[in-house]
Amino acid sequence: MKWITARRRHPLAGYVVVILALALFGVGYAGLAPTADQAQAQTLAADAPSPEDVDVAEGKTVFDQTCATCHGLDGSGSKVGPDLRDVGPAAIDFQVSTGRMPSMNPDAQMPRKPMVMTEQELVNLIAYYNESIRSGTNGADVPYDVPGGAPGYDDFKPLRSDFAEGEAGSEEYEAALEEAEAEYRTALEEYQDEYDEYIAGADNTDMGMRLYLTNCAHCHGWSGGGGALTDGRWAPEIHESTPREIYEAMVSGPGAMPMFSDGVIDPEEKQELISYVKTLQAEPNAGGIFDLDRVGQVAEGLIGWVVGLALIVACAIWITAKQRAHD
Amino acid sequence: MSKTTQAPKALRGVGNFIDDRFHVAKMGEKNLRKVFPNHWSFMLGEIALYSFIILLVTGVFLTLWFKPSMMEVVYDGPYERLNGVVMSEAYASTLHIDFAVRGGFLVRQIHHWAALIFVAALVVHMLRVFFTGAFRKPREINWLIGVSIFVLAMLEGLFGYSLPDDLPSGMGVRILQGVMLALPLVGTYISMFLFGGEFPGEDIITRLYMLHVLAIPALLLGLIVAHFMILWHQKHTQYPGPGRTDKTVVGTPMFPGFAVKAGGFFFFTFAVIAGLSAFVQVNPIHLFGPFTPTSITSGLQPDWYMGFMEGSLRIFPNTLDFQIFGYAVPIGVLVPGLIVPGIIFGGLGAWPFIEQWITGDKRAHNVADRPRNAPVRTGVGVAGITFYGVLWLAGSNDILSETFSINLYLTTYIFRVLAIVGPILAFIITKRICLGLQRRDRETLEHGYESGIIRQLPSGEFIEVHKRNSHETIEVLASKPTITSTALTEEQVDDKGVENPEGRKPKGRLRRALAEWYTKDNVSVEGVRPHSGHHLHHSDEALKEHTSSH
Repeated sequence: MKWITARRRHPLAGYVVVILALALFGVGYAGLAPTADQAQAQTLAADAPSPEDVDVAEGKTVFDQTCATCHGLDGSGSKVGPDLRDVGPAAIDFQVSTGRMPSMNPDAQMPRKPMVMTEQELVNLIAYYNESIRSGTNGADVPYDVPGGAPGYDDFKPLRSDFAEGEAGSEEYEAALEEAEAEYRTALEEYQDEYDEYIAGADNTDMGMRLYLTNCAHCHGWSGGGGALTDGRWAPEIHESTPREIYEAMVSGPGAMPMFSDGVIDPEEKQELISYVKTLQAEPNAGGIFDLDRVGQVAEGLIGWVVGLALIVACAIWITAKQRAHD
Repeated sequence: MSKTTQAPKALRGVGNFIDDRFHVAKMGEKNLRKVFPNHWSFMLGEIALYSFIILLVTGVFLTLWFKPSMMEVVYDGPYERLNGVVMSEAYASTLHIDFAVRGGFLVRQIHHWAALIFVAALVVHMLRVFFTGAFRKPREINWLIGVSIFVLAMLEGLFGYSLPDDLPSGMGVRILQGVMLALPLVGTYISMFLFGGEFPGEDIITRLYMLHVLAIPALLLGLIVAHFMILWHQKHTQYPGPGRTDKTVVGTPMFPGFAVKAGGFFFFTFAVIAGLSAFVQVNPIHLFGPFTPTSITSGLQPDWYMGFMEGSLRIFPNTLDFQIFGYAVPIGVLVPGLIVPGIIFGGLGAWPFIEQWITGDKRAHNVADRPRNAPVRTGVGVAGITFYGVLWLAGSNDILSETFSINLYLTTYIFRVLAIVGPILAFIITKRICLGLQRRDRETLEHGYESGIIRQLPSGEFIEVHKRNSHETIEVLASKPTITSTALTEEQVDDKGVENPEGRKPKGRLRRALAEWYTKDNVSVEGVRPHSGHHLHHSDEALKEHTSSH
């Protein structure tokens, strides 16, 4: 206490208190605030799900409960939701797996969010859509050969409630847990191999770069950081997007985005493009540990002024300071 | 003990040899003893000078490997991600500097950060000179040199930014060409001449290179030397204080005091720039990729000092464009691209002369003004900063829109309104603050300063004890000049009753109106004796008298 008492009238004491209070609130808020869990789609299957794995009736339940309010029971749309019959399953997969659907507010652009349903429910929904809603083969199919999201551990983890109470149950549970962990690790490795293979499968950086910089960068930015659009809309950042989601976005043209069908940019070119942007995003920052979020010149200017120049001016103040005259 | 310490014999020998031939001792003595006033704000120009030196040294290093050629090559080098990509030699050689030259990446980043800080230091130095009235006679020429340095530094930066031929480079050059094309009649000719054909052509990098490493640096170096020599000759301004007048300077002698400080300051400047360059990635051209005319990206801007131009182009409406005889006159590019910078830099250059014309003040000033004591000038300066700042912010409106989730169009409308309303409000508010500070100064001079001690008088009244100002404070406060103008003091009617013909002309009337605007509302300290105010009765001695009289 003595230490504080001696210093509380120091000219800088007020600033120190304010800075400490700000830091306390800032850090405290960051600690308490609910964290938005990163969306983690759990697509694993590289192939289309086989018919025995899907439950169309279950898919109908999901559709009726989560989609029909806006899109109508037959998917023909309503005042608040568009007609789904011609959009194709790629659009359904994109909208649901990125958490944009079901939408909270049909009038606003939806941000990326964690998916509201399980992977299996989505598969069932798409199966139901294909069987009962889609008109013919309109719209693009889900590109199952393009890697989706990494598997999540939660899909493998056994539930404690499935095991008997007591010590014996606990032991069984532990064993199952270990097994699940091994399974999860294998699945993750498999996924990683698949992902790497897809990215490495593209070998024409020039083509990927030109396609990306000509068609995508003017909205999503040179590194996929997103950008502002007209009328209050924005092009989302695509760092978290899986290759499959990027592919689906191109073939379905969600929101203000134009559609780049396989006729315009063929699948190999799409692979080059996706590989270009994903490789760029994974690129380490050769210029230093602070990359300023790759915002570019605006951030650099800010740092130049508030860090660079400010430090040098502080030094000027320091070397020209004279002893304070106490009167 | 001897009174004077003598230099070692060897040194004396060399010294005498040189002195016998060049007579430097006398000159050296005079210049080494030259006195520099001490204030942190007098060091701002030095930051610019030191950054410029760093730019020259690192720039020479970079030219050893940079190839200013637009020849197309297929990249095959240590940066594997771009292997097989078609690019210009300029871009490929920049990648070479980054990834194959030892220390090349660091030096390129030092060059870039030093450029950002160079222009920033120029700006704050210029603002210091403006707000303290240090541009007044006899320093108008040096002010004009300074403004020229500022303009050249911006161009130098823009051209340097364009050299690596990466994505933002090309976009910047494209905007430059767009502004050129907007010029009526000559636009297309100028563009074709500079680019040696259609955009982008094959010459532009080579030409910008010549401008960036030869023409503009030579001009800059010449102007900086002239700036410094004039400063040396005219001596530095100083702030008011004891013993400081238009004829005498108070400060540290050049040697050893000031030289040591300045030398240390160079190393500190270099340390900050090198530190930033080591840890903060700047302009990562290897990530942007090479420029092709079809490529375009959102979210990339010019470097900060071109931001106000970008903003001016972004917010100016295009509804005023028209055609004449089938030729387009794009007002929406012409005004923001040429007229707005013309107003900013023209206004800067003209201000010393405008102010002199308004006040008719032809005296030489070596004591700087405190900004509050010239409220109209300070107000105009802050209005200028506001205008520039709004345009600057508008230049990053897409980043602001995305970062703070504001509608992009809304930001444009906000900035349009702010560009007009902001400077006016800034002027009014700043002037009020200045006048408020002047009143407080006058009060402090009259009554001393508030001690923070509250006393209760026997009558029950509470008073705050005021204390006497220090000698220095009185000196500073009492030195406040009264702002006058000859336009107001000149006789309007001569002794024969004839009106002054100058004053009747529109120019004369304008001058009188401006003089009125410039000089009114000032709080005068003339005739105010220090510590004469009634509050001083509340000082300790007065308190005793007070108590005894009851």
